[in-house]
Amino acid sequence: MDRRKGYTHWIYLVPFLIFIIMTVLIPLIYTFYVSFTNMSVYHWTNYKFIGLKNYYKALLTVDSGFLSALFRTLLWTALNIILLVFFAFVIALGLNSPELRFKNIYKTLLIFPWAMPAYVTILLWRMGMFNTEFGFLNQLIRKAGWQPINFLSTDVYAFLSCMIINLWLGIPYMFTMIDAAMQSIDRGIYENAYMEGAGFWRVHVFITAPMIAPILTPILIMTAFTNFKQFDIVYLMTMQTGSKTGANIHTLITYVYDKAFVTSNYGYSAAVTGIISLIIIILYMGMQKIARSKVN
Amino acid sequence: MKFGKRKLWKGILLEFAFIILCLLTLLPIIYALSVSLNASNSLFTSGLRLFPDKLTLENYYTILLEKPFLIWMRNSIVLSLLTVFLTLFVTVPAAYAFSRFRFRGQKATMSFLLLLNAFPTILSLFAIYRIIKILGLLNKKAALVLIYTGTMAIFTFWTMKGYFDSIPNDMEEAAKIDGATNLQLISKIILPLALPSVLVAGVLVFINAWNEYIFATIFITGTEKYTLALGLYSLQATDYTRNWPLFSAASILTSLPTLIVFFLVQRHMVAGLTAGGVKG
Amino acid sequence: MKKVNKKTFMLLMAVLCTVMLFGCSGTTDNSKEKTSTPDSSSEEIKEKQEKQVQTITIWHSADATIADTLQKQVDSLNPDVNVKFERKENMAESLKLVGNDPESAPDMYLWAHDKVGVFAEMGILSPITDFIGEEETKALIPMTLEAGKYDGQNYQLPIYYEALLFMYNKALVKEVPKTTDELLQRMKSETKDGHYVFVEQHSTSYCSAPWIQGFQGYIINESKTPGLDLPETIQALEYHKEFVPYMPADGEYNTVTTLFTEGKSEFAIGGPWLVPGLKEAKVDLGIASMPVLPNGNPLKPFSGVQGIHVLKHVGENKKGAVASVLKVLVKPEVGIALAEAANCAPANVRAYDNVAISENEMIMALREMAENVVPMPNVPEMDVMWGITDELLASINKNNGNVAEECRRCQKMALEQIEAMH
Repeated sequence: MDRRKGYTHWIYLVPFLIFIIMTVLIPLIYTFYVSFTNMSVYHWTNYKFIGLKNYYKALLTVDSGFLSALFRTLLWTALNIILLVFFAFVIALGLNSPELRFKNIYKTLLIFPWAMPAYVTILLWRMGMFNTEFGFLNQLIRKAGWQPINFLSTDVYAFLSCMIINLWLGIPYMFTMIDAAMQSIDRGIYENAYMEGAGFWRVHVFITAPMIAPILTPILIMTAFTNFKQFDIVYLMTMQTGSKTGANIHTLITYVYDKAFVTSNYGYSAAVTGIISLIIIILYMGMQKIARSKVN
Repeated sequence: MKFGKRKLWKGILLEFAFIILCLLTLLPIIYALSVSLNASNSLFTSGLRLFPDKLTLENYYTILLEKPFLIWMRNSIVLSLLTVFLTLFVTVPAAYAFSRFRFRGQKATMSFLLLLNAFPTILSLFAIYRIIKILGLLNKKAALVLIYTGTMAIFTFWTMKGYFDSIPNDMEEAAKIDGATNLQLISKIILPLALPSVLVAGVLVFINAWNEYIFATIFITGTEKYTLALGLYSLQATDYTRNWPLFSAASILTSLPTLIVFFLVQRHMVAGLTAGGVKG
Repeated sequence: MKKVNKKTFMLLMAVLCTVMLFGCSGTTDNSKEKTSTPDSSSEEIKEKQEKQVQTITIWHSADATIADTLQKQVDSLNPDVNVKFERKENMAESLKLVGNDPESAPDMYLWAHDKVGVFAEMGILSPITDFIGEEETKALIPMTLEAGKYDGQNYQLPIYYEALLFMYNKALVKEVPKTTDELLQRMKSETKDGHYVFVEQHSTSYCSAPWIQGFQGYIINESKTPGLDLPETIQALEYHKEFVPYMPADGEYNTVTTLFTEGKSEFAIGGPWLVPGLKEAKVDLGIASMPVLPNGNPLKPFSGVQGIHVLKHVGENKKGAVASVLKVLVKPEVGIALAEAANCAPANVRAYDNVAISENEMIMALREMAENVVPMPNVPEMDVMWGITDELLASINKNNGNVAEECRRCQKMALEQIEAMH
């Protein structure tokens, strides 16, 4: 590796960093600044500095509802990551098997969920699949002679329904990534392993998985964050204004949206965002610590 | 002979499994297709059947000819492609630098980037609006290109970095000895090697730019400037304008270009050089 | 090579820093700048502008037919004033961002009256009385004018209005019940196997408001006090809950609409926006007056008044142009054209003298109801009430919560969130 102490790497980095600073960092700093002011509908242009008041207020939102939302979000993130990787890995393996003839067609069809704006597909699921009167699932259930299920009004069903949609939306991306990662493996390794008599699953669990792990780790970390930030599926499925279903499956972000962002009090919302950022940082540090101790 | 037969069966079984998988995946899409072919303006057809009694292509004619759909599509194509190029232009060198150089604060910067990405950009609309205004780009396509690039940059960067790490250094070293410049290194050696991951990243950015509508609602005014995602959004935004068959037809048409792009790109996503060329 | 790199790098950093500084400082100074510019230079601009064509941009997010109809009406002002209706999605959020920025904000916008409070508090609206006199607005239905009033000022020029209607399918219904008790009896005895007597979006604030207001309760009043735990509200929701088991469980817009459109429900409470779809599906639509509650009051729905708002940044120089646009849009001809093109109920009383309108059953039903509707609250606090009331209704109707308990819980939540707005 190149260990020069030059500036060459900066040429590569500067454009990237400019964009990050402009569209992510400055807005973040600005939000931080707003969190110390009383900017709201009532103080739109004449806002002033009010110190830590918003943070006191924001801490009040950390109640039992907040904590159960946090717990639910962690559960949601863990379950989704595990299932995403599992399904995507199996699909990618299948796509990479030499016996498969029409893999390009399958690949293209399987990424369909990814090819539509998420609000469209979420709507399709809510109406087409889960609707109590006309939904596909409930029509099947009725045909079978059972009572229709109000999928989105009970906590457990609603949670599972949202998870199905999340997997449905997320698997295309994940299997594409795993598929790409598998391209970096030297096929010769497989031949050797098979020659030595290793079985299909053995080969892929003990050779493929470890070989793509370093490529996938950053992607998994990103996906974990994306799932942690989950907002639109849960919100559009169960708590959209005008069609609340009555299930309480708040994630962290929907919870604070419901509590803070609807108030149009920007200072307060910014403080709440600050507290969430703090939680994310703590979780991230914790994760790193665990990862490091495992390496050692 | 026996071995060959087993292989054939395995192939058929696999083929069958994938057909089932595709059908399951496409269930909601088939539903949208059926709504779009429905002659009456309804989101539902009662009775358990996939296709309505009266089939019609009228919704597709309407959307293509009466609505500014083609203009929206042109806007979307321009916007998405620009975003893809700009994002790759910015992130490929960065991923390369992080993968090949060791410098002070590198680990910290990586962690910091990751944490930055954990922060939902949409919460900082107001600040972004200010920046766009200062740059004088309000109601211009460039504004959205900049925003999408910025919001996608970290994700794309991380997507590629792991792959770059997995590419062995030997060929670059050899090229360096031959006196290749940095630019040549990237374009002649790194890019071809990392092609699968760069293409995946490109597709990722394309799809995100293609489907994004929240920033678009804020930064675009006037139907003739809409993107497809925004146009779709407008088709169902108010109670008066809500026309489900038209909306479904538009949704399906909107997703087609993405699928075509993906279909065309994916033959290049297969390992070209890595699988033996380098390591051997 | 290295030197150049260092230099470019430093330069870029410098550029970045300035951008950053602008980004942060610009926000606080802007308000001051804006107030000072019109006074100093308005004289010169005025002179210049008098010779030029004035352009007025109006944002809307209405149906294209409505926008086109209005566009045709204001085209009569050409060539002196050039008015352009421009479609905008997510308008409320966009206006919050750009509302006081003359560069990107429109001059006026068309929207329902319920955001008047928010925008007035933010200081981005001008009262319409700055541009148009009482003489001209005299012919407007008082309810529609009242709807746009906030803090004693009138911020909206009403164009048309909408409210929920009691609809029935003439092919299925022989006799329309006069009271809600009668309706409930029929629901109890005749609802079965996918056939419904009555459907509505039972768990949304907008559709439950007629019941709450019929019992003289309210969601929030003008003095910004929520009324979810009032005895009247509790009583209304308890009574309303009796109806819910005989309606589709999710009470969702599309479910309700489809059931009524397909003739699987005899009655529905829905908005005028359903009418085009019903006509297309050849439903023989009847509109009856709202059924009467046990206390003798009919159901009392919200009204949404769509109208034109003028933004404050619009300088002195454009005052004349804005006034001329408002004077065109207040005319009865506009209402007549809208009623014919898009089935809208005009805000101008004189429009109803037109034969085509007086024969339109739906519009006349809305006209009669004008005295029996409550304009949606326009106080900023209503923003949080929509979600909380939805949650209250979902917990009562869908999760079988105890009405009084849930009402008290949600009232408390409402008070907390309203407190958090300040």
